[in-house]
Amino acid sequence: MNAALIIARLTVREAARRKLVAVFLLITVAMVSLSAWGFDRLSHTSTITSGEIHVALPQALILFMFMFSFVVALSASAIASPAISFEIESGVLQTIVTRPLRRSELMLGKWLGLAFLVAAYSIVVAGLEMAVVDWVSGFLPPNPVAVVLYLFAEGAALLTLVLLLSTRLSALATGVAGVALFGSAWLAGVVGALGTTFHVPALRTVGNVARYIVPTDGLWHGAIYYLEPASMIVQRLSGAADSGGNPFFATSPPSWPYLMWAAAWLVAVLAAGVVSFGRREL
Amino acid sequence: MSPTSSAEQKAASPAVHTIELRKAYKRVVALAGVSMTVERGEVFGLLGPNGAGKTTTVKLLLGLARPSGGEAMILGAPAGDVETRRRVGYLPELFRFQAWLKASEVLLLHCRLLRMARSRWHGAVGEALDNVGLADRGDDKVGSFSKGMQQRLGLGVALLGDPELIVLDEPTGALDPVGRHEVREVIRALRERGTSVFLNTHLLEEVEHVCDRVAVLDKGRTIAAGTLSEVIGQHTRVRIQVSGLDGRWWERLNGHGRSGEGGYGRFTVEDPSGGVVLVDRIKPAEIPSLVRAVVALGGDIGAVVPERKSLEDRFLELLGAGQ
Repeated sequence: MNAALIIARLTVREAARRKLVAVFLLITVAMVSLSAWGFDRLSHTSTITSGEIHVALPQALILFMFMFSFVVALSASAIASPAISFEIESGVLQTIVTRPLRRSELMLGKWLGLAFLVAAYSIVVAGLEMAVVDWVSGFLPPNPVAVVLYLFAEGAALLTLVLLLSTRLSALATGVAGVALFGSAWLAGVVGALGTTFHVPALRTVGNVARYIVPTDGLWHGAIYYLEPASMIVQRLSGAADSGGNPFFATSPPSWPYLMWAAAWLVAVLAAGVVSFGRREL
Repeated sequence: MSPTSSAEQKAASPAVHTIELRKAYKRVVALAGVSMTVERGEVFGLLGPNGAGKTTTVKLLLGLARPSGGEAMILGAPAGDVETRRRVGYLPELFRFQAWLKASEVLLLHCRLLRMARSRWHGAVGEALDNVGLADRGDDKVGSFSKGMQQRLGLGVALLGDPELIVLDEPTGALDPVGRHEVREVIRALRERGTSVFLNTHLLEEVEHVCDRVAVLDKGRTIAAGTLSEVIGQHTRVRIQVSGLDGRWWERLNGHGRSGEGGYGRFTVEDPSGGVVLVDRIKPAEIPSLVRAVVALGGDIGAVVPERKSLEDRFLELLGAGQ
């Protein structure tokens, strides 16, 4: 087996053995069950019209998915932050890196293992939530596969950045930096949306620049777009509903150039991580 | 150069060879130019007090750190060469293994990393566990192991795949006397198999028991190197018990025995009557002639007890001279 795959398998196995997978599954089932109850109540309430219910369901789902995207991203940060740094500090890596494998293979293996976990979690959490909401309320987003892909992409972007930081900073500092960067990117997205709505170019620029520096929020907007039914987008674009500064609304999916930028960004950050770890003295 | 001659050259090359190896961390010089050679099949001890540069040397040899200058070759390849690592076993000073894995799973992981044929895994893991006294603990999680047991496991990991060179960094630091004895036995068995062992330690007793040659490091420099007897010195001392002679009989030893003037060495009286005398700095080959000279004087020899200077004495002497 390729050395990177050996390390990837080890990383996934560690997550399973340390009960990380079990804990995530338990929490996910609890949260999805709670949301199922909520969506059931919402779709069967008699206090609002059926038209209002059709508007409320996607918005509520976007809110829930935002929470799950938050969990995916922060979990990615939490599992990636000790991946290199803690193993250097504890000495576990010393016996591994003196085996016939390149440090780049080790780094790539770690990334593959962690990305697999993030992908699996994105599929389970988003798939389960959308299936349950469809079951209790009959609402299914127009493109569930794209939603899962964007959710994964958002988590993978943060995971890659945190893995890079993990080659140089302590696990604690890396974890804090990961959360702070994710939060800042989201907030910059909100600021950008406000700048667009209220025609403040400086704020709009902040949002635009931030989504290129850390593309997590830009990718999250891809997930939002594919959670919205076409009628909702048409309604918002026609001005029938005010979407000003709403961080939970997207009028268009991320453009191809932006997606290519995000892919290039991910590869560049991963490459920087490989170089950084390769130069690190143990 | 043809591939064959290159392979032959590597096979004939020393296990470890360094030339003026240097390492500086900003302003701190950890190694100030260390040159040494460890031949194939040799058990080599690197000695030195804490902070002498021993672990830095090991890290440079294994490619864990980059040298600031000089050269290091392992089994004929530059230190850190990825393919050569397949032929090197390493037990780090700070040994930690995946606490969530079973001992046998840690060994299996290393079988995979060594790209060992799958058919050999089972046998190799069993042999490694057996070698380090963990045969009945293979199915236990590493997290439940004591520090000493983890060190044993680390030795097992280093032994996997029949490496040509094993680098052991303070291999008995966490072990009890029984464990230490067992490690010495393992090292002796490795020597019999022709495996080179690079032993990094500050435990002089360990070195005296198993090493063929040693180097002593202090403040990043080699202050002594050679076989144990070369480092300790040719001179030894002998305690001799004599009766039937007058006082100061040693001064009459054919004019050779005067204190401080060579001859048989320096005489120190341990017994006020002159019956027990310690002869210092005497060459082992001179002891029979000393006995003959005492008998020729009419003395009765009660006992002749050679006392070899310990490595510890010499070690402290060397470090004292370097201050």
